[in-house]
Amino acid sequence: MDSSFAQRRRRDLIVAACLAVAAALVPLFVKDVYVQNIMVLTLMYAALSQSWNILSGYCGQISLGHALYFGLGAYTTALLFTKFGVLPWFGMLAGGLISAGIAMALGYPCFRLRGHYFVIATIVIAEIALLLIQNWDWAGAALGIDIPVRGDSWLKFQFTRSKLPYFYFALVLACIAWLVTWWLEDSKWGFWWRAVKDNPDAAESLGVVVFNSKMGAAAVSAFLVAVGGSFYAQFVSYIDPESVMGFQFSLLMALPAVVGGIGTLWGPILGAVILIPLTELTRSFIGGSGRGVDLIVYGTLIVLISLARPQGLVGLFSSRKATAR
Amino acid sequence: MTPLLETRGVWQRFGGLVANSDVSISVVPGEIVGLIGPNGAGKSTLFNLIAGVLPPTQGSIWFDGEDVTKMPAAERCQRGIGRTFQVVKSFETMSVIDNVIVGALVRNTAMRVARRKAYEVLEFCGLAARADVLASDLVPSEKRRLEVARALATEPKLLLLDEVLTGLTAVEAKTGVELVRKVRATGVTVLMVEHVMEIVMPLVDRAIVLDLGKVLIEGKPKDVVRDPKVISAYLGDRHAVSA
Repeated sequence: MDSSFAQRRRRDLIVAACLAVAAALVPLFVKDVYVQNIMVLTLMYAALSQSWNILSGYCGQISLGHALYFGLGAYTTALLFTKFGVLPWFGMLAGGLISAGIAMALGYPCFRLRGHYFVIATIVIAEIALLLIQNWDWAGAALGIDIPVRGDSWLKFQFTRSKLPYFYFALVLACIAWLVTWWLEDSKWGFWWRAVKDNPDAAESLGVVVFNSKMGAAAVSAFLVAVGGSFYAQFVSYIDPESVMGFQFSLLMALPAVVGGIGTLWGPILGAVILIPLTELTRSFIGGSGRGVDLIVYGTLIVLISLARPQGLVGLFSSRKATAR
Repeated sequence: MTPLLETRGVWQRFGGLVANSDVSISVVPGEIVGLIGPNGAGKSTLFNLIAGVLPPTQGSIWFDGEDVTKMPAAERCQRGIGRTFQVVKSFETMSVIDNVIVGALVRNTAMRVARRKAYEVLEFCGLAARADVLASDLVPSEKRRLEVARALATEPKLLLLDEVLTGLTAVEAKTGVELVRKVRATGVTVLMVEHVMEIVMPLVDRAIVLDLGKVLIEGKPKDVVRDPKVISAYLGDRHAVSA
């Protein structure tokens, strides 16, 4: 039993490495900028959803307010760069740390809530944050921040001629988020989180300090999501409150994990690979003048998946894994 | 011998209801003590006070020479109090071995060690063959044993068993009784709540009978079952007289 477990972990790692290498080679064959753009977004949402999955999937604290941390990352990076000339790399780190800190400060009162009440609190808090930013003149209020573009540079993490650097960074981000999850899965934190999700009273009786476990999950999750937000700010080089902190981001982080398999290692990536291209493609091909047909298609797919496979699509690939997890 | 566990004048009130009134009991190392009594006697309340689910309204609880009255449940587990739940609380989406690993992590921070420890405990409890099965797929008697295994993995000094033998078939109950004896043989002290007398009486060294929130009587099982007060508490006064 011990060896089969270790084998599965090793196999996961090998599969991930193969997928990462394959993904890294794709731009050699795909030169279309529009498609490359979709690939960047897919990888970014895979990373975001993987991070969301840590708190909501593994630890079971469903958050529909992660747009807050995404926006915090984006705003921290953009503000530090435009106001103080701090390089985005430091902005990324600062955004991550601020988000982790805020996640714990918010967790302090909110983790006393259970189930639906926790979800409602996360939505409301993210909405309040959105309103605050919209009315914060120094941070550009509703107009947002235009990040000045001064030519291609890794130092400033800006690229105008090619999407490829963004693609590779997004790929690295997705790999990091996956590796963190992979590592956490077989750590005491991973076990505590799953125990807390399944039965907090039993977890407490087994020496798990439930509250601290939730705080840890929130901090890791918020940190990674904020790094994604920082990346997004650099990628689009213009941010405003609605475009980085809107409720849709909270949903777009949650849905890939839910569709792919919530609380699983591979669910978020699988979900992102299916959902994000679909979102983008339906929007550009049947959205536009139709106004909403894309959303109908999108919604229908989610309904179908949740009816046919409420535990997520990941189980289709390996029935053994589905029973072991 | 100095007691491992001691409650001193413990009261628990829920609004106007007095669930425990002035309960003072003690358990010495190596004992199997049965906490019995009819429904509503306050057994589960006392059990939860000892496990740290809630603090008593009044009185104090001492474990291993330390006042643990205000200590939260997780910390009491770290000190050496393990417990099971009357209504089983398995981690349903986790495998059997993973359930037990959660318990083993209290004393072992290295995953490899915790996994090995968990596997040993499963063997001890006769669940090793089911290690990779999801907890939700176990049959009820196996779930009860998983509860015990999980608690044992925390390496408790005192194991609190909440009706682990209730609702089992005769054969299952016998296996359960043997498991409890085995647990005690490894040096773990056991305090068990039961209301099925015929199962628990041959097993325990000492029985404490609760009735209406108070300690009615305590002593050797064979004396306790003959005591008129106990019979009247269970069956009513008429039977006590005829006995």
